[in-house]
Amino acid sequence: MTQQTARAEHKDGRGGLGRLLGLLPSYAGMILLTLVFVAPLLWMLSTSLKPNYLTTRFPPQWIPGTYSGEGYSTILTTNSGNPVLQWFLNSLIAASAHTVLVLLTASTAAYALARMHFRGKNLMFVVIVLTLVIPQFVFLIGNYLIVQYFGWLDTLLAVIVPGAAGAFGVFFLRQFFVSLPMELEEAALIDGANRLQIFLRIILPLSKAPLATLAVLSFLTNWNDFLWPVYVLLSPKSLTLQPGLAILQGAYNTNYTVIMAGGVIASIPVLILFAFAQRYIIEGVSRSGLKG
Amino acid sequence: MGRGRARGRVLTRQDFLLLSAGAGAGLALAGCGGSQSDLETAGSGGKSYNGPKVSLAFWNGFTGGDGPYMQKLVDQFNSEEKNINVSMNTVEWETYYQKVPAAVQSGQGPDLGIMHIDQLPTNAARGVILGLDDVASALKLKENDFVPVVWKAGEYNGKRYGIPLDIHPLGFYYNKSVMEKAGLNPDQPPQTKDDYMAALQQMKGKGIQGHWMSPFEFTGGLTFRALIYQFGGQLYNKDATKATFNSDAGVSALTWMVDVVKSGYSPKDVAQDAELTAFQNGKNAFMWNGIWNINPLDAIKDLEWGAAQLPQIGTQKGAWANSHNFVIMNKRGQDPNKVAAAKVFINWISHHSEEWAKSGQVPARNSVRDSQTFKSLQWQPVFAKEISYVQFTPPVPGIADVYYGSLDPAINEAVLLKKEPKVALDEAAGKADQLLKENKQKYQAA
Amino acid sequence: MATQGIEQPHVQRPRGKTSSGGRKPADAGPLTAYLFMAPYLVLFTIFIVVPVVFGIWVSFHNWDPLLPVKPFVGLQNYVDLVTPGSTTFGPFWKSMGATGKFTLYSVPLLVVIPLLVALILNREFRGRNFFRATFFAPYVLGVAVVGILWRFLLDPNVGLVNYYLGVLGMPDNIPWITALPWAWVSLVGVTVWWTLGFNTVIYLAGLQDIDPALYDAAKVDGANGWQRFVNVTLPGLRPVLLFVITVTILASANMFGQSYVITQGAPGEETTTAIWYIAEQGLRFFKMGPAAAMSYILAAALAVVSLANFALFRYRGD
Repeated sequence: MTQQTARAEHKDGRGGLGRLLGLLPSYAGMILLTLVFVAPLLWMLSTSLKPNYLTTRFPPQWIPGTYSGEGYSTILTTNSGNPVLQWFLNSLIAASAHTVLVLLTASTAAYALARMHFRGKNLMFVVIVLTLVIPQFVFLIGNYLIVQYFGWLDTLLAVIVPGAAGAFGVFFLRQFFVSLPMELEEAALIDGANRLQIFLRIILPLSKAPLATLAVLSFLTNWNDFLWPVYVLLSPKSLTLQPGLAILQGAYNTNYTVIMAGGVIASIPVLILFAFAQRYIIEGVSRSGLKG
Repeated sequence: MGRGRARGRVLTRQDFLLLSAGAGAGLALAGCGGSQSDLETAGSGGKSYNGPKVSLAFWNGFTGGDGPYMQKLVDQFNSEEKNINVSMNTVEWETYYQKVPAAVQSGQGPDLGIMHIDQLPTNAARGVILGLDDVASALKLKENDFVPVVWKAGEYNGKRYGIPLDIHPLGFYYNKSVMEKAGLNPDQPPQTKDDYMAALQQMKGKGIQGHWMSPFEFTGGLTFRALIYQFGGQLYNKDATKATFNSDAGVSALTWMVDVVKSGYSPKDVAQDAELTAFQNGKNAFMWNGIWNINPLDAIKDLEWGAAQLPQIGTQKGAWANSHNFVIMNKRGQDPNKVAAAKVFINWISHHSEEWAKSGQVPARNSVRDSQTFKSLQWQPVFAKEISYVQFTPPVPGIADVYYGSLDPAINEAVLLKKEPKVALDEAAGKADQLLKENKQKYQAA
Repeated sequence: MATQGIEQPHVQRPRGKTSSGGRKPADAGPLTAYLFMAPYLVLFTIFIVVPVVFGIWVSFHNWDPLLPVKPFVGLQNYVDLVTPGSTTFGPFWKSMGATGKFTLYSVPLLVVIPLLVALILNREFRGRNFFRATFFAPYVLGVAVVGILWRFLLDPNVGLVNYYLGVLGMPDNIPWITALPWAWVSLVGVTVWWTLGFNTVIYLAGLQDIDPALYDAAKVDGANGWQRFVNVTLPGLRPVLLFVITVTILASANMFGQSYVITQGAPGEETTTAIWYIAEQGLRFFKMGPAAAMSYILAAALAVVSLANFALFRYRGD
C-alpha cells in the first residue's frame, strides 16, 4: 500500500476533479467491459427461468415476461438419459476427494523438499518442477491405459486420482514453506519434537492461507475438468457435470431453457466459491505469475 | 459370483467406488463371474428365465424419436416378466462405439445392447460381445425366419453374434407439392433412370433444383453406396483385403452424383442436412434418405410427401441399408443369470417387433413383416420392398472405420467439385487398402 | 495475508547448526523424509512418469487396448505421420493446422488486451478490486458452461449476438458457428471472454511490482507517457510477459472444449484441433499407437515454440 500512496503523490499535479475527468473514459471503458462479462451470465439465468417457447422470441426479454421452472424440473426429475442431479453429486464428490488428496500429498512432499535433507532431494525437485511445463495431453494415452488397468474406467476414481499427481501443489507449497523462518522449527527440534509433530503442530497452522488457496484452486480445476472425463466416464450415471452438459446440449438441442438451466446449476457452486474465496484465487494466480 | 450384485436395484456411487477398489486390488481373480464360454451357454437360450431376480442395463443409441418406442417395449417386458428388470440407457451413437467396449471391458456398462450390423465383427474380435448360437438354436431361428442377407451378416468366424431387430434402408422421398409445381404427377415418382432424369430436367426448366446432392455421409455417402450396388459393384472384395469402390461401377456411381450437381439439379455446396431442410421447405423435390425420416416428416403440417423405392439409375436394383442387432455383452465378471435373462429379453422383443416398426424401421423377422400390423403401416412396407436387394459390407472387423478415412472424404471432395470422381476414388482406394491391411494385422491374432 | 504477518527477517544459518551453536538437534533421518515424500511420489510415478514412458512404448506399436495382440511396428507410426498420403498424415496435419491457426489468432489478443485492461486498472482507481474480480469471474466457469452459453448466444437464428447486430444496423445473419472465417472469430472471441481476467490479474500483479521511483526518474528526464511505457513498464514486466506469453501459447495449443461444444469441429474438420484429433484417434477409435506418436510430435513442436519464446526474451534484454 505504500506503493499506491507513492504513486498518488507522483501523479500530475492536477486537482481532484481534473483527475476524475481524466479517468472518466477509463471508467466508462471498464463499465462497458463489465457489461460484456456479466450480461451473458444474466442471459443464461434469464433463459433458464423462461418457458421454452419464450427463449427464442424476439425482442429478447431480459426479464422474463412469464416465469417457468420447466427447464429445471425437466432436468432435475429422474431422467435416465441425463441425470443432472447425479452428475452434480459426482462432480461434488470427485472435486472434494481430489482436493483432499492433493492437500495431503502435496503438503507432505513440499515440506520434505523444503526442510529435510535426503539423497536425491534436489534431483527430485528439479524433475517435479520440470513436469510443470509438460502439456497435459502427453499423459493422456498412458493414463487412460493405467486407469483401465486398475479397473477405474467409468468410476469416479478415474477423475479423482490421476490429476493429483500434478506438480503445481508441491511447487506452490514448497515456495511457501521455504519462506517460513527456520527458528520455530529449530526450537521445536531442540525441544525433542520430531518432524511429523512439527509439521502438524507448527507448519500447517501457519499455512492456512496457502493451503486454502491450493484447496480452492484444486477444487476448481477438478470441477471444471472436461477433456479427461469425456473419455474416461462412460455410463450416463457416472458422468460429472462438465461432460454431462455437453451431452445435455446434444440431447436437448433447441430446448434452451433446459440447457441454460443445466448451465446455471453448473455455475452456481463455483460462483459462490469464487465470491467467498475470491481473494485466495486471485492472489494465488497473481503469485504464480510473479514466480515465473 | 454371488456377491450380491443381482440385487435388483442400481448400484450406488459408493458401491462402485468400493467395487473398483476391489477390482483394482484383485485383478488376477479371473475366476470371478463366468468365462466367455460359460456365459454363452448360460440359461436355456432365451426360452424362459428361471433364475433369481436380476436387473439388466440395456444400452442403445436411440436418442431421437425412436427411443420412446423401444422404451414402451421395455416397459411392457418388465411388466410381463417379473424376475427381470430391464433399464434402458441411451448413449448417442457417435460415442456409443467407444463407450461400450471400454465400459464392458472394465466390468461396468451395459449387460446387453443394440449394435449396427457392420460393428458386430469388430466387437466380436475384441471380445466385447458374446456368441449367440445357443439363442438361435433354442429359438429355432433359421436363415429363412429372417431376411437372408441380414441373417448372414450377423456371423463372424462361423459364430453368430447378433440377433437382427430391423433393417433401415435408404429410400426415395418425393415432395408432392414441388412435383406439382413443376408439372409432374405427384403420385408417380420416377423409378427408372430415364424418367428420373427427365423429371429433374423438367423441374430445372421451372427453376427448381430437384435433387440436392449432399457431400456428407448422410446422405451423399449412403447415396453412393446404393448406386455402386446398382452399377453392379461392391465397396470391398469378399474378404475385405482390397477396396473395390474405384471400379468402373464406383466411378459411374460417383460421376452420376457429380453430374447432378454440374447439371444444375442441385446447388453446389449443400450443407449438412440442408437437403432435408430444403425438402421440408419446398425447395427440394427428391431426397434419398433413410427410413427414419418417416415420423419426423409426418409431424410436419402441410408437407405433402411420399416415399418409394430408390429409382434404378444403374443396371440393376440396389439400395443401402444398415441393421440394428441385439448383442449381449461379454462383461468382465458377469453373472450368468444376467446373461440368461438377457437372452429371454431379446427373444421377447424379437417377437414383438411390430411395435418397433412403428418407430420407422423394417422388422428383420419375416413373420413380423407379414403381420397385419406391419402391413397396415403407411410407408414402412414401401421400404420393405427394397429388402430383397439391399447389401451390407463384408463381416470383417474394423470395416466401418475404413469408410471414414478413405471413401468419406473422397465423396465429399468430388461432390463439392474439388476433385474428379475417378481421381478421388483411386486415392481413396489406396488409403482404404492401407487401412484394411492394418486392420487385418491388428485383428489377425485376436 | 498470513504470510505477511510472518515475514520476519530470515536469518541464514548453516545447515544442521542451531542458534545456540551447540549440539545438533535430533533431526529426522532420511527415512522420515522418504515417508513424507512417499504419498506424492507414488502418485507422481504412476500418473506422470509411467504414462510418459509407457506412451512412448505404445507409440512403437499398433496398440488397441481391447485386443490381446499389439504388433510392434517400430518407428512406423512416426514415419506415417510425416509421409504424405499415409492414412494419418492428412487429418493429423490438418488438425495441427487448426491448432496453429487458433494459437496464431488468439495469442496476440490474449496478450495485448489484458495488458491494456491491467494498465487502466493499475492507475489510481476506485473499485479496482471489483472490476478485477468481475473480469476474472468467467474464468472459474468450466469450458462446458462457457461453451453451451455462447453456442446459444452465437446461434445464427435465435442467438442474441446476431439480434443485436441487426439492431445496430449490421448484418444479422452471420453464420458464427457453421462457416469460416466466422467459426474462428467465435472460438477466439469466446476464449478471450473466458480467460481475459486470468491474464489481467497476472499483469496487474506484475505492474504493481514495478518501482514507482523508476517512473519518476523517467518523468524527470522528460519522457512522455508512451516513452515511459516502453522504457519503464515493458522492461519491468519482462518476466511476467514471458510467463503470460508462454502460458497463453500452451493454453491455446491445448484448446479442445470450445471446439467440442461450440462448433463441433465444423465446418468439416476445419476447427478440429490437434488435441481433439489425438484424443479421438486414441481414446475413441482405440488407435493408440498413432495417437501416442502424434502427441509426442505435438509436444516437441510446443517445446520448440516455448524455447524460442524464451530465447527471444533473453536476447531482447541484455
